[in-house]
Amino acid sequence: MKKAIISFVLLMTLIVTLLSIDNMTKNRFSTLEKTNDLKELSVLDVLLELGEKKPNHYLIKANQDSVLMGYEMVNFGQLKDKSNARISKFFVCTDCHNQVIEVADLSAETTDDRLSYGAKNDLPFLPASTFYGMYNKTHWYNGDYALKYGDLVKPTRDTLINAIQLCAVQCSQGRSLKDWELNAIMHYYKSIEFKIKDLNLNQSELNQLLTDIATHNTRSVEILKSKYKSINAATFGDLQPKQPDNYSADLKAGEYIFKNGCLHCHGMGKDITNFEFDNDKLTLSFLESKLKKHNSYSVPYIVRKGTYSVSGRKQYMPQYPLEKMSNTQLFDLINYIKSQSK
Amino acid sequence: MFKKSIVLISILLSGFSFSQDKIWDTFEGTRALSNHSTEMLYKRNMEFRVSHKFGDIAGDNGGLQNFYGFDNLADVRIAFEYGITDNINIGLGRSKGVNERTGVVDMFGKIRLMQQEKKGKPLNITYVSSLAFSYKEASTDSTSSNYYQTPTERLIFTNQLVISRKVSDRLSLQFNAGYHHRNLVTFNDVNGLVFTGGVIRYRFTKTVGLITEYNRVWNRSEDTEQKNPLAFGVELLTGGHNFTLVVSNHQGVNENIFLSNTTSDWLKGQWRIGFTINRRFKL
Repeated sequence: MKKAIISFVLLMTLIVTLLSIDNMTKNRFSTLEKTNDLKELSVLDVLLELGEKKPNHYLIKANQDSVLMGYEMVNFGQLKDKSNARISKFFVCTDCHNQVIEVADLSAETTDDRLSYGAKNDLPFLPASTFYGMYNKTHWYNGDYALKYGDLVKPTRDTLINAIQLCAVQCSQGRSLKDWELNAIMHYYKSIEFKIKDLNLNQSELNQLLTDIATHNTRSVEILKSKYKSINAATFGDLQPKQPDNYSADLKAGEYIFKNGCLHCHGMGKDITNFEFDNDKLTLSFLESKLKKHNSYSVPYIVRKGTYSVSGRKQYMPQYPLEKMSNTQLFDLINYIKSQSK
Repeated sequence: MFKKSIVLISILLSGFSFSQDKIWDTFEGTRALSNHSTEMLYKRNMEFRVSHKFGDIAGDNGGLQNFYGFDNLADVRIAFEYGITDNINIGLGRSKGVNERTGVVDMFGKIRLMQQEKKGKPLNITYVSSLAFSYKEASTDSTSSNYYQTPTERLIFTNQLVISRKVSDRLSLQFNAGYHHRNLVTFNDVNGLVFTGGVIRYRFTKTVGLITEYNRVWNRSEDTEQKNPLAFGVELLTGGHNFTLVVSNHQGVNENIFLSNTTSDWLKGQWRIGFTINRRFKL
């Protein structure tokens, strides 16, 4: 009898909790009156409201304590109070990933846009995708990453949590994350998911979205999805890239890539790589002298191939896929090195 | 609000790290050639060092019969050094030793007091304190410098201030001054030696540089055959480790040994080839 009462109470508590969560979500959307109210909403929440399926990493709400823990692990490699072990002794996530939007137009995410937006906002020019909006993607370790990691990418392609784990163990050559650490990082991702305001919807699209939410019309789903890339493609470039047709050097772009890309990790005093350098003539002359070589000191080679983890040297450099540095940009970098080495 | 705070913290942190504008890489390694440079290991970095000196190139112990010194071993030191922080390093090594000071275990602590900045601090200043202990059996000859009667007599100390400046991308200069003390010396020697030294490094390329290192002891006893250590070297940076090729009159590879145990004379062909190779690991 006692057991039956306890079970009944627990069941009722669960039902009340679920109903209140459902009501919270409904209330948030039922009070929408102006398009300005829409802008702070999460894109995923709006899509769910319009009938889309929840992803398997879905979180109802970002827990602020977990967000902070996730933020610390992403930025410092462990909690700031050092109560957990370092994820990697070689890297932290921010060595390769930005935490902010990298392009003006999320619907296209072109390399030109990435460079001009990054230069304008003085962002690091990094080989991996930003964590901002990572929560909204549907596939990870796409395209040619299968060439690098083989079957390891298979469990990551449709499961964000597996992608985070692969990144921790393989990319950063660190340890496996514990469940609570993965959970905290996921909450951090949730805190930097896409908002409606990030998608650059025009007024008529916002009006339509407002109407569609009120009427549960799914018309706006395709509009929303067309405003950002749900997959970050990755195509590995040729190790001996050919200069693009009608190419004219943009040394400013090359300088930005060198300073905000190469020096982001190789800069003096960073202790990220085994080869540190500065923007001085000695370095640039050295790099210029190696441009035609086919080894890891050659800029085009290392940009396109990176280095690989080997016995005794686990730490390695990720390559820039064509989606993160186009061949035009690579030649801008090469020409900047040439111009500064004389 | 929370996200804004995070962004604000990020901006402040990134601004802080770049506002330092420090000068790095005044020397490629933590040693100029044999003596310490002002360079430090990063926090949690460990360096494995092997320093080796061959026998005399020329003179009675050199020439073709000894394959210009390659058949002989003057000294060898194997050491591990570690960055507790970016500004505090420690090290532990073992070397064969020279003359009567053999079987030497050495250790040191090194503190960076100042780092050169692009605009601001003009110099790198480092303080190094090291000691060496010879564990080999004591001599029974009471006139010998290893006629140890107590363990403390086996100790040798060297304390020095090392000051450097990276003058340009190619040129670095270093000056060092210190006090070297041996607890036990022969009757005609002095225990405490005051020394100064200088280093010039000139880099031809990013990875190749020439280095000259000289140390002068000012109060050496005239009754000993000790000479001032002088060395020339080429440093080669290969990424992850650097390689230094040295030609020197001193046999010892540790400051506790070569400052007071250099008896080789350049003019008599008593100079030798040596090398140091190191490898850094992240812990």
